[in-house]
Amino acid sequence: MKLSRISILLFALVLFMIMPGCKKFLQKDPQGILTADQFPTSASDALLATNAVYESLRGWYYHSGGYPILDIMSDDARKGSNPSDQASTVGPYDYFGITPTQDGLDRWWNALYVGVRRANVVIEKVPLIAMDATLQSRYIAEAKFLRALFYFDFVRAWGGVPLVTTTTPPLGLVRSSKEEIYTLIINDLQSAINILPLKSDYVSADVGRATKEAAEALLAKVYLFRNDFVNAETYAMDVINLNKYSLEPVYTDANGINGNNGVESVFEIGAIQVENEDAGGDQYGNTQGVRGNPNKGWGFNRPSVDLRNSFETGDPRYKGTVINLGDTIDGIVILGDGQTPDITQDSSGKIIEIECYNRKVWVPGATTTSNWGLHRRLIRYADVLLMAAEALNENGKPTQALTYLNMVRARARQGNPGILPDITTTDQSQLRELIFNERRHELGLEGLRFWDLVRTGRAPTKLGPLGFVTGKNEILPIPQSEIDLSQGVLVQNPNY
Amino acid sequence: MQIRETRKKSGTPKAMLLLLFFLFVISVSYAQVRTITGTISASDTKETLPGATVQIKGTTTGVVTDINGKYTFKVPEGKVVLIYSFVGYTTQEIELSLQNIVDVLMVPSKTTLSEVVVVGYGTLRKMDLTGAVSTVKTDDITKITAMNPIENLAGKVAGVQVTSASGTPGESPVVRIRGIGTIGDASPIYVVDGVILSDISYLNSADIESITVLKDASATAIYGNRGANGVIVISTKTGKAGEGKTTFTLNGETGWQKVAHKISLLNGKDYANIINEFQPGTYNNVDLLPNTDWQNLIFHMAPIYNFEGSASGASKTVQYYIGVGYFDQEGIIDKSYYKRLTLKIDNTYELTKNIKLGNNITVTPYTQQVAPDVTFQAYRAQPIIDPYKPDGNFNSVPGVGNPLAALAYSNNFNKGVRAVGNLFGEVSFLKNFVIRSSYGIDAAYNKGESFTPAYTVSPTQFNLYSLLGKAWSDNLTWLWENTISYKKDFGKHYLDVVAGYTMQNSTNEFMNLTGSNIIRDNANFWYIQPTYVWDPSHNINNIGLITNNLDPNLYYSMISYLVRVNYTLFKKYILTLTYRRDGSSKFSQSNRWGDFPSIAVGWNTSEEKFMSKLKFLSKLKLRGSWGIVGNDKIPYESRYSLVNSNLVTVLGTGSSADPGATYGMIGNNNLKWETTSQLDVGLETGFFKDRLTGEFDYYDKETYGILVGLTIPAYFGNGLNTKEIFNAAKVQNKGFEFNLGWRDQVGKLKYNFGINGTTISNKIISIGGVSGSDTVLYGGYLGNGQNVTASRVGLPIGAFYGYKTDGLFQTQSELNAYPHLADATVGSLRYIDVNGDGKLDGRDRTYIGSPIPTFIFGFSAGFEYRGIDLAIDIQGQTGNKIFNAKEIIRPDQYNYESHVLNAWTGPGTSYTEPVASSGGYNYLPSDHYVQDGSFLRFRDIILGYTLPSGITKKIYVQKLRIYLKADNLFTWTKYTGYTPEIGSSDALSSGVDFGAYPTTSVYSIGLNLNF
Repeated sequence: MKLSRISILLFALVLFMIMPGCKKFLQKDPQGILTADQFPTSASDALLATNAVYESLRGWYYHSGGYPILDIMSDDARKGSNPSDQASTVGPYDYFGITPTQDGLDRWWNALYVGVRRANVVIEKVPLIAMDATLQSRYIAEAKFLRALFYFDFVRAWGGVPLVTTTTPPLGLVRSSKEEIYTLIINDLQSAINILPLKSDYVSADVGRATKEAAEALLAKVYLFRNDFVNAETYAMDVINLNKYSLEPVYTDANGINGNNGVESVFEIGAIQVENEDAGGDQYGNTQGVRGNPNKGWGFNRPSVDLRNSFETGDPRYKGTVINLGDTIDGIVILGDGQTPDITQDSSGKIIEIECYNRKVWVPGATTTSNWGLHRRLIRYADVLLMAAEALNENGKPTQALTYLNMVRARARQGNPGILPDITTTDQSQLRELIFNERRHELGLEGLRFWDLVRTGRAPTKLGPLGFVTGKNEILPIPQSEIDLSQGVLVQNPNY
Repeated sequence: MQIRETRKKSGTPKAMLLLLFFLFVISVSYAQVRTITGTISASDTKETLPGATVQIKGTTTGVVTDINGKYTFKVPEGKVVLIYSFVGYTTQEIELSLQNIVDVLMVPSKTTLSEVVVVGYGTLRKMDLTGAVSTVKTDDITKITAMNPIENLAGKVAGVQVTSASGTPGESPVVRIRGIGTIGDASPIYVVDGVILSDISYLNSADIESITVLKDASATAIYGNRGANGVIVISTKTGKAGEGKTTFTLNGETGWQKVAHKISLLNGKDYANIINEFQPGTYNNVDLLPNTDWQNLIFHMAPIYNFEGSASGASKTVQYYIGVGYFDQEGIIDKSYYKRLTLKIDNTYELTKNIKLGNNITVTPYTQQVAPDVTFQAYRAQPIIDPYKPDGNFNSVPGVGNPLAALAYSNNFNKGVRAVGNLFGEVSFLKNFVIRSSYGIDAAYNKGESFTPAYTVSPTQFNLYSLLGKAWSDNLTWLWENTISYKKDFGKHYLDVVAGYTMQNSTNEFMNLTGSNIIRDNANFWYIQPTYVWDPSHNINNIGLITNNLDPNLYYSMISYLVRVNYTLFKKYILTLTYRRDGSSKFSQSNRWGDFPSIAVGWNTSEEKFMSKLKFLSKLKLRGSWGIVGNDKIPYESRYSLVNSNLVTVLGTGSSADPGATYGMIGNNNLKWETTSQLDVGLETGFFKDRLTGEFDYYDKETYGILVGLTIPAYFGNGLNTKEIFNAAKVQNKGFEFNLGWRDQVGKLKYNFGINGTTISNKIISIGGVSGSDTVLYGGYLGNGQNVTASRVGLPIGAFYGYKTDGLFQTQSELNAYPHLADATVGSLRYIDVNGDGKLDGRDRTYIGSPIPTFIFGFSAGFEYRGIDLAIDIQGQTGNKIFNAKEIIRPDQYNYESHVLNAWTGPGTSYTEPVASSGGYNYLPSDHYVQDGSFLRFRDIILGYTLPSGITKKIYVQKLRIYLKADNLFTWTKYTGYTPEIGSSDALSSGVDFGAYPTTSVYSIGLNLNF
């Protein structure tokens, strides 16, 4: 009897004494999914994370939200496609009827922050990894270059935006000032310049990564937008003096497939000819490709009548910028789109639009697939030369400026001595206009014109007739969805 | 002759053998015996009481009365006290005199002291109960022939809504207790013999003793962060202590199912005429067109079988129940069936006076074939198409494909086994203490197999290469529960305490494989070999696919502590306190532990002296409770921030794709369970010696911290329109419940009535507020960019959303005078400019009805007269609407419901039915497609006859009953679809009819045999 009582007691004790090792028992790690706290933790992770930042450049949304609104807003281009396609979504960019809920604003805004976050992953987490120090600092420098690139779009498109430099931003961030954004951009680029290798130092498999020259060229451009011509000159001249770049002998190769990662390409976005973003395709070329026959894309970004008429007589860059119906390119005859009028006139009979397409996105082939493989150039050497010319002229060095301006004109001439004569004037204001005009013809439909007009104060004159309102349309409205999401913390840009 | 004599001597051999064995055991123990016989009957109803227990005091030896209330009991000579007990009646002790015939009249207990109710972690005396708890007993659980026993709860329990999601054989119904408390998984949990489960489709109804529904927080809080959507406690059958001999039960039933209601669709000629109305000249001779009734082609009568046998009983130290069941349902659509075998064994061993060991184990193998979704196809298929071409091949059916071909080429199977059971030990000591330890498992193994041969019916209905899919999944959950309980009656006070701790662990894994181009079509070749199909002309480049992962909701561990104190003073004043502390691996360190308390009070008013004058009042009890309960069935894996490793960047002079990876979806590490606080006030009454009973409850449930996805600011870098999950919505469910019963006897006629009803008021109190600006939850996605539900603050969950209509545009001038969409035409629906801005656009879409009934009810009646029994169960609901979504998804030219025959053809020809068209404007989501979902259904009607025991005794049969039965015989509803029961496990899509497999009416004949 005693024994059984003891055994009962023991039984009870055993049950209630086995108090479980709670903490361990209740710890279940997620299965089959890689969580953020486990990444990046190794040298190979660091490479993956760095590559991922570049990936965000290839997204459709990265390209100004999908549609080439930066050219559409300029005097260089109209919406394109057929008249009704995206008339209410993209159309308003053509005549500055842009509202805070305008299609595409949220896409671009989001895409840039996706890029910023990915850059922040590298900048914040890669330093914690035990790995080769040279590679480690290069990865971080690449990410800083790209972060500056994203914020440079931000500050030009919207002015000050919420400044995120960590992977774990708080809720309720307010807009930083334009100055704060520029400070980050300049700091990022300067530290990238100190570390990034030259383009020639990369092995061929790494071509396409950010280089010291790309960072300098971008910084030169940043200073131009700051009207800091001394610094702009310094960095542009650094690139030129490195003597690693030259102009493609054939103008169309500057953006074309033959010049992919070529001598003129300072920074470009690699892509593969496949109609799938996840597999390496880039829809930038498809969005603007010839519409109809051949079917190479949607046909957005139609060269404006003004642009067509602005080229100097015989400038081969006209053909290198505009595809007209009836042209034959790489053996393919351009017939165009059946639903797009060949010529559109206003009520007075004035021609306001001619069906034509952007030559800069041409990739040989008669299919849409080929255009998905366009390597979009973000910075090319001709731009660097013209930036140098502009800065030198502003800094009172017209002779030097003429050297670089005429290098660009010489290539454009394509060996024909009868056209595009060298510029000789050293009058600062005359030269200023000529350099600016050269930018339009050299870099047309590459997404630079609108911001060039804004930064040089020419926008009211040139774009006023198109609907541009001074004090308003220099920057875009903050997407209404973001203002709503911030519960009113984000303040809208003036006059929107 | 020889054989017959032998049989006569030994009785039914098995039963007699067992009986003899036990008698032998007993006779060994007690050398000198005498035989006591008698009849036990009730003093109030004068009925005999079958199943009453007679026990020798101080022993576990006893017998149970037979079907006629009679017992025969061998007791030792000398002083013997017999205890007579029956649920609901006062237990009596009688000391035996010399008399060998002892008839006993049982007196009903005013407050039935002895009646116990199954609750969480034990039982409580019904008189001590303070929670809202409803119990359904075995007879009511076996009425409907259904795979899942829970089907039988429809209309039976106030506050419980059981809705068939579809008629697919093997499909479990959607169960909601007291409204819908979350936009996620609002299903209750099930506790079978102590094992906590999320599904009981493995259980055979006949093996269940009782189902108890725990509704209020006082009852559910003991289940902590799993109790918020209600708890259904199921006790399976065991042998009854004291039941000397073995009872064998055999039940067999065969039924025929047919589709309960067909939808009225156009025939070939009418269809062609309608098309000609808006596309004149499409069909020239409408009389010569084929006329195919696709519904008749896919639906057919199908059998359903249910057989079960059991043996139960008890010896001095062992109580046992062994059951086997076979359920076999063919679908009313080809290529669908469900077959299930249930093997059940429950044993309790009394090792010593103080120590018990036992087990409850069910093992259920099953096989199922699942038909493709041809119902929706048949609904849409044009009636002017012959199903077959003249050469016997399948004809091409525009838009939707040929439903018969879809069936012919479908081979989709599931098979598996589920085993649920536990072993337990109980030690009682110091008289009032019991320690119980129980270890239970729920093991499930399923294999899915699907094969589609290569075939071509039409350019849109084809499969170029045969496709074989296999899926394996396994799940093992173990649950170890340890409790100590203390029950003591101090006279004035009564104390019932249970405390314990439990551990649970769940793991699972699944693997899906596909293979292509299998060398032969027959099942002998349904094995996956490494296959590689490369067919550039069809853009096929397939090397088979492997998916191997686990379901996070079945991968967790828990540790819990629980305690319940039930204290009763003077049998009048009751206080119940419960508390559970749950730790769960689902939540991050900081949110790991949750506390779930409840408090309840009760007052047995009828025990008060001043009430004793009210003779007609046999029972009056007031009770109230409040508590906090949680719901952990949430997509908790949303708490993890993920890495996106599918990124490709293009680098290098050769433009090669280089892999990249970075942070992906942002998780919310603060995610926790959803929390429900519930208030319940109840009243229990009994009149006229409990012939009339009533139970009334008011409930008010507020669920907060419901998981919703909210868009976060873009600067988090998650990408456009990506959401993060937050505990950020609040929903209220409140209403009244009542349950009335009347039970009496007039002469030889025994009868009973029951009626119950529940009102539900469901309202969203808030959405968001934590981040961002989202205040609407969209659901009911039509697959074409349109949603038909939009849940907003102030509206019910899953509220329908679309245009309001106001008749038809009769004339062009009327059309011109009203704001309208660009593609509106004369004769089309006039959508109302709800916001009054003079424009008609998407912003005029508004609330157009609720899928949640405001009142659900059930009615039951039973009659017994001279062996004839009749039972009727009626169930219904009102106040809910149904969105007939299947009618408006019209990207192509499909058949029409026949109301299109009334379509507008000119001014004044119709004010409700818009001009016929193939799709577009008139088929936008609008209130035109919202129908009344109220219904009243004859859930079952059963007519049975029990042969007089005088006859059956001669063949050694205790009870022989045959019956006829009709399930879902008739449904009164205005709804035009197959059934007004549109269940969906997705709260944001409930009541949206996409044309699911219809529910059926079942006509059965059955036999019950006890010996």
